[in-house]
Amino acid sequence: MKKLLNAFPIPILLTLSPILIHATMEETSLFEQPLLITSAGQNAEVQLAAVLAKRAGLNYRLEKLATGVDLENMKTLGLVLGASMKGLGAAGLDIDKERERVRGLTAEAGKKGIPILCLHLGGESRRGQQTDDLMAEFLPLAKMAIVVKSGNADGFFTRICREKNIPLVEVEKAADALEPLRKAFR
Amino acid sequence: MSLAIELLVGFSFLVSCQNQPRVSPPPPVDRHTPVHYIGRHGLVVAANPLAVEAGLDMLKSGGNAVDAAVATAFALNAAEPFASGIGGGGFMVLYLAKSRQVAVIDYREKAPAGAWPTMFKEKGEAEDHWRTATGLAVAVPGAPAGWALALRRYGTRSLAQAAQRAIQIAEQGFPVSQTFSDINKDEYERLALNLEEGSCYLKDGFPYEPGEDYRNPDLARTFRVLAEKGIEEFYRGDIARRIVAAVQAKQGILTLEDLAAYEAEEVSPLRGTYKNFALVTAPPPASGGLHLLQLLRIAENWPLRGWGHNSSLYIHHLSEALRFIFADRERYLGDPHFIAVPVEKLLSREYAASIASAIRPDRALGSYPPGEFDNESDRRSNTTHLCVIDREGNIVSLTQSINDFFGTGIVPEGTGFLLNNQMADFSSSPDSLNAPAPGHRPVSSMAPLILFRDGKPFLVLGSPGGTRIFSSLAQIILNITEFRMSLDEAIEAPRFFSYSVGGQPRPIALESRIAEATVDELRRLGHEVRVREAYDKYFGGAQGILVWRDRKIILGAADSRRDGWGAGY
Repeated sequence: MKKLLNAFPIPILLTLSPILIHATMEETSLFEQPLLITSAGQNAEVQLAAVLAKRAGLNYRLEKLATGVDLENMKTLGLVLGASMKGLGAAGLDIDKERERVRGLTAEAGKKGIPILCLHLGGESRRGQQTDDLMAEFLPLAKMAIVVKSGNADGFFTRICREKNIPLVEVEKAADALEPLRKAFR
Repeated sequence: MSLAIELLVGFSFLVSCQNQPRVSPPPPVDRHTPVHYIGRHGLVVAANPLAVEAGLDMLKSGGNAVDAAVATAFALNAAEPFASGIGGGGFMVLYLAKSRQVAVIDYREKAPAGAWPTMFKEKGEAEDHWRTATGLAVAVPGAPAGWALALRRYGTRSLAQAAQRAIQIAEQGFPVSQTFSDINKDEYERLALNLEEGSCYLKDGFPYEPGEDYRNPDLARTFRVLAEKGIEEFYRGDIARRIVAAVQAKQGILTLEDLAAYEAEEVSPLRGTYKNFALVTAPPPASGGLHLLQLLRIAENWPLRGWGHNSSLYIHHLSEALRFIFADRERYLGDPHFIAVPVEKLLSREYAASIASAIRPDRALGSYPPGEFDNESDRRSNTTHLCVIDREGNIVSLTQSINDFFGTGIVPEGTGFLLNNQMADFSSSPDSLNAPAPGHRPVSSMAPLILFRDGKPFLVLGSPGGTRIFSSLAQIILNITEFRMSLDEAIEAPRFFSYSVGGQPRPIALESRIAEATVDELRRLGHEVRVREAYDKYFGGAQGILVWRDRKIILGAADSRRDGWGAGY
């Protein structure tokens, strides 16, 4: 496996097989700490991501309304995907304002060379038009994605990740994201 | 074609429970398909199948509607613990067939004696956190007292008997539904903050996934204690001490004296009419029935059928009316034990007509002042509802809540039940008639109701959904009376909602099943519109019973926006 990886660039390998994607994750940690966690859509799962990060022993900060200034001293941006009307309402935002916030944040991450880790932890019931529109915009910016499998039943994540050569890790439930998350970091 | 025949013809799927073994009917392929439950002798509808079975078992064993309602309420605490329970309160509307009387049991929570008007406002930016996720958010629970009062006055069974199925449900557990899992995830932040490690309300510290087993042996034990020792244990005994300890550990002010002083009470119903229907419901501090009647009174002035169901004109006019009603709510509603609520003036046909004529058909007004009445002396909620009818024709329409799903997330040690955050239903303005004050009951949007036609019960209805309750119930009633829908069609039909704050309009929220062209037209009329999910529990989870032909046919329906279910026999 190591010889194969040395012989071929990672993006080519990642497009060939989901098995290779998982094999790659076992051997290569893509991200550095500290990690800034925020949502794209003010979803409730951002809190889950923070708990996962804590249990994974990561150096992280949770900022639900993170903007570019919060990237100071951060090495990775964790974006938890999913639109929540409840969360948007509680934050005093609508979907357009939230989209603008995340655009600004990801643009700043791009300028600073901070890679993005996308997570979708809510499964099938946390898909919908607004969520999908947000994900279609921000998932392609990811260096890696971890998703709960039922949320990918229609291949939404697979399609985008394949197109953009993004390693995709599927887990059965949110709690199972712990190990892939831990292994994703140096 | 008469309304009766139209309703029958409109059914898409009928389930007969008459003379069949106690087996839940198979679910339809699409959970949103209108489904009706049929009974000849009795029927129960509630937000959870296990709770429905508890109520139906009680009816079939000879219990009356009140016995069954309390059994169902207990079982809802066990099977739908995030939406109601002994840590909360509610309202119960009863119809007694023999005497044709209506009674209302008010078991709304009360503010502790130490409450003061600025208790949340002074927290500044952290106000919302203090109102929802701390011990300060907990009001004195009323459910055990309310259930006990109802049974004592109108039931035939004891509290212990009513609790039996709930004990089994809590002990044996059940696989968690998609609804339970989604709500568990939605409220995870508050739960992670307030639950003790190892709490059954999370699975190894994470939200439940659908299908995972949930059990609550602590709650079963608490129910056994109540069954054995009565509600004294809750209000004056060991459970009381555990409640106070848990609340005060989270910066709350509730005391043993607050609990010992709590009493549920029987009150006169609020009565009103809509066309040839008479309606009874819970009075203030339950505001839902009052505002529902206001909305129906205003709607009487309009050609709703001509406009068409969920047309832009229909949604525009009702949304504008709702904004006026919310202005009245802000100005006039509070606890009638302490302030006078101008109910008659708010419900007068003249006032309704004045609002109807003020609303323009061609644009949103943009400003919604309250009515000007003398006051003589004068957000959020998620809740559950159940309806029961027994073989004598006695009826219970019951709505109860712990306010937000999972309440505060605070569980008194070893008890298994969640404490409410009902203090959040008080206004944040210290000048409001609904400001926090010692012993006050916060204004509620609940509206358990019974609609009568020709003096006989016709429709039993209610819903959770916070401030959306009365808007949703009005739409269901209009769906049946104006648009000739069957009961479950009326419940499943797309909903909308709007309100005002300080006289300023808030957007119209509506389910995505409403036509895009209608949404465009509403925007053209000057409304901001927020499109929500196709079947969004934001708009409530209604349950209803339709009584037909002198109870020869009893039809039940439950909302697929939550886990609504029904069964009859």
